[in-house]
Amino acid sequence: MKLGTGKHADALTVRKLFRKTRFGFFSLFGLVVLAISMLSIRTVSRELRDEYIGNSRSIAKNIADSSVDILLNRNLATLQSLIDQFVEIQSIRYIYITSDTGEFLAHTFIPGIPDQILASDPSATEPVERSISGMGDFVEVGSPILSGVAGTVHVGMDLEQLGLKIQRAVGQQLYLLCIILVVGVLASIWLVNLASRPLTDLLTYVVQLARARAGDESPDDAILVRDDEVGDMARLIQYVATGPEDSEARARSGG
Amino acid sequence: MKSRDGMNAKGGRACETIHMTRRSLIRSGVGALLGVPLATRLAAEPPAAPYVPRRPSPGPIRDDRIVLGVSAAFSGPSRALGTELYRGSMAYFNHVNENGGVNGREIVMKLYDDGYQPDPCVANTIRLIQDETVFLLFNYVGTPTVTRALPVLKKFRDSRVYLFFPFTGAEPQREPPYGEFAFNLRASYRQETAGLVNNFLRIGRRRVAVFYQNDAYGRSGWAGVREALAAHGETMAGEATYTRGTQFGASMRDAVEILLARSPDAVICIGAYQACAAFARDAEILGLHIPVANVSFVGSENLLALMRENHDAPDEHTRWLVNSQVVPSYADESLAAVREYRELMERYDPSPPSPDQVDRIVEGEPYDTVPQSFVSLEGFVNAKLITEIIRRMGDDPTRSGIEEAVFQVRNYDLGVGERVRYGPGRRQGLQRVYYTVPEGDRFVPLDDWEERFGLA
Repeated sequence: MKLGTGKHADALTVRKLFRKTRFGFFSLFGLVVLAISMLSIRTVSRELRDEYIGNSRSIAKNIADSSVDILLNRNLATLQSLIDQFVEIQSIRYIYITSDTGEFLAHTFIPGIPDQILASDPSATEPVERSISGMGDFVEVGSPILSGVAGTVHVGMDLEQLGLKIQRAVGQQLYLLCIILVVGVLASIWLVNLASRPLTDLLTYVVQLARARAGDESPDDAILVRDDEVGDMARLIQYVATGPEDSEARARSGG
Repeated sequence: MKSRDGMNAKGGRACETIHMTRRSLIRSGVGALLGVPLATRLAAEPPAAPYVPRRPSPGPIRDDRIVLGVSAAFSGPSRALGTELYRGSMAYFNHVNENGGVNGREIVMKLYDDGYQPDPCVANTIRLIQDETVFLLFNYVGTPTVTRALPVLKKFRDSRVYLFFPFTGAEPQREPPYGEFAFNLRASYRQETAGLVNNFLRIGRRRVAVFYQNDAYGRSGWAGVREALAAHGETMAGEATYTRGTQFGASMRDAVEILLARSPDAVICIGAYQACAAFARDAEILGLHIPVANVSFVGSENLLALMRENHDAPDEHTRWLVNSQVVPSYADESLAAVREYRELMERYDPSPPSPDQVDRIVEGEPYDTVPQSFVSLEGFVNAKLITEIIRRMGDDPTRSGIEEAVFQVRNYDLGVGERVRYGPGRRQGLQRVYYTVPEGDRFVPLDDWEERFGLA
């Protein structure tokens, strides 16, 4: 190490020693944030999707339960009025009711029933994803009316809406995690600086000691009175550099 | 003399149309003076506050008047229907009130605008029953509105408020569980669509498709066509839909193309005049040259006016139209009711409800009245029959006596060429359906289906 002047000696810092530590901190935090984000996306996506399908099932079942008397009374106007009310609920994009023979008894499609729907199994009740040209992507669930002998209710939920909901929920969690990451990184920098300051003092002392031997200046001996490991090291270095008598005298004067 | 009183106590979407005596004019003037500051303040407040229901209060009858509650479309794309129905009724009520009213009481309509939307109609019905304590409900317009208002009548069944002569031929107010709360005068959509289907099949047009408003009204007509076709062993050739409230300026090309792909022989439209006129226009443009039928609700004169507007060859443009009606032609002066209608419409020429008569959901929409129309004729005969029913209730009419009074109408000559009959299990007075085609700027009776629409 090249010895600088007093001005340069004051500017000495410990940079290299904690470089890996800092890198380790950042990597660890990054890894934690990444892992939590991925888990969060997966969990939120699955939970919301399950909830979405669950809600669709409930709505389909609700309509199916309400439709029995209406269907048996052949009152299709009331049936249409019923599904029109449900389709006003956010995310429900279409509802249709098929008879036990597969005939479409009521629906909310405009200007007509899409071919993909016409070609589908009218009695299916399991969740199915549909991509309907001109309308978008949907998840559709069904519910049988009177165990299917009176028909089936089908409810289509907008997957784009679901995607937006997932994005919003995950975005909020990521926002929180990013704040935690930034706070963590700042805290780690502060803690590393706190840990490196005594070493900086020691380094400064050693440089000053070397200059003293060259007759340039006398070192600041305040560090010799520290009662921690840095103080021990400073005293040891001073002992090695100046011999036992001088060392004891400096230690006493420093104390 | 015709006048109006101020806003209702809640500052809501209503006001009355009253034919006043001097006494009632003074009373209304004092009431208006007292009520103006409150009404002005309430009118300035946003109408979004939820309606808080309270118990119905008794006393719908006063010594000097009987109030009929109306919720109808006075704004929006279907405003012509509510307005013309009102005008027809007003022509008759003006005449009645000018001649001393019914058993000394004038007949008053309390008007609310629902814009042909179900939710406002429900709120209006609750207000009419609870706040206005009307004697009965009258001249409601539309299936989606009436279908949603019917449960309100069931909820307040103890109040015995009946819905009279709604301007819809749908089934919900004709069948359980709500049929007992309504009395219909006109034929049903089932009867209208069955008549159209039967005539089309008779002339060899077997592939019948449906274009309909995708709501309770459209579904009611759709079901009627389906049922009528099934009776002949036929099924629907195709179907296309539109959204309620669609305007004439909208394109219906998608709907027309869907039906074109099914190669129908005839299309039956279950819709309102703006959308059905747009469909007929685009069908003509895209080469769908087959009969395009409409049911009575469409508002024939308004449809025809839209289709003829700014068109070089309007007769050619409208040659495929055929509309079913539930009242006879207003040109048929051989009928007493038609003669009376024409005379009173000319004498009074009722104006559309003014802004101080009804607080419209959408303000400022222009509307030109139609001198005579099937809709206003229906409003006229509705008013004529309800006046007769109230007259039969004598000097002390009560809500609880309404049903019995209606059931007394067993063979009444309304002057439309068909006698009116009611009774337990029979809550629809007239059964006849009429078919009309455009001739110039009006619809006239269709005499020969084969000649007009035959495939040969």
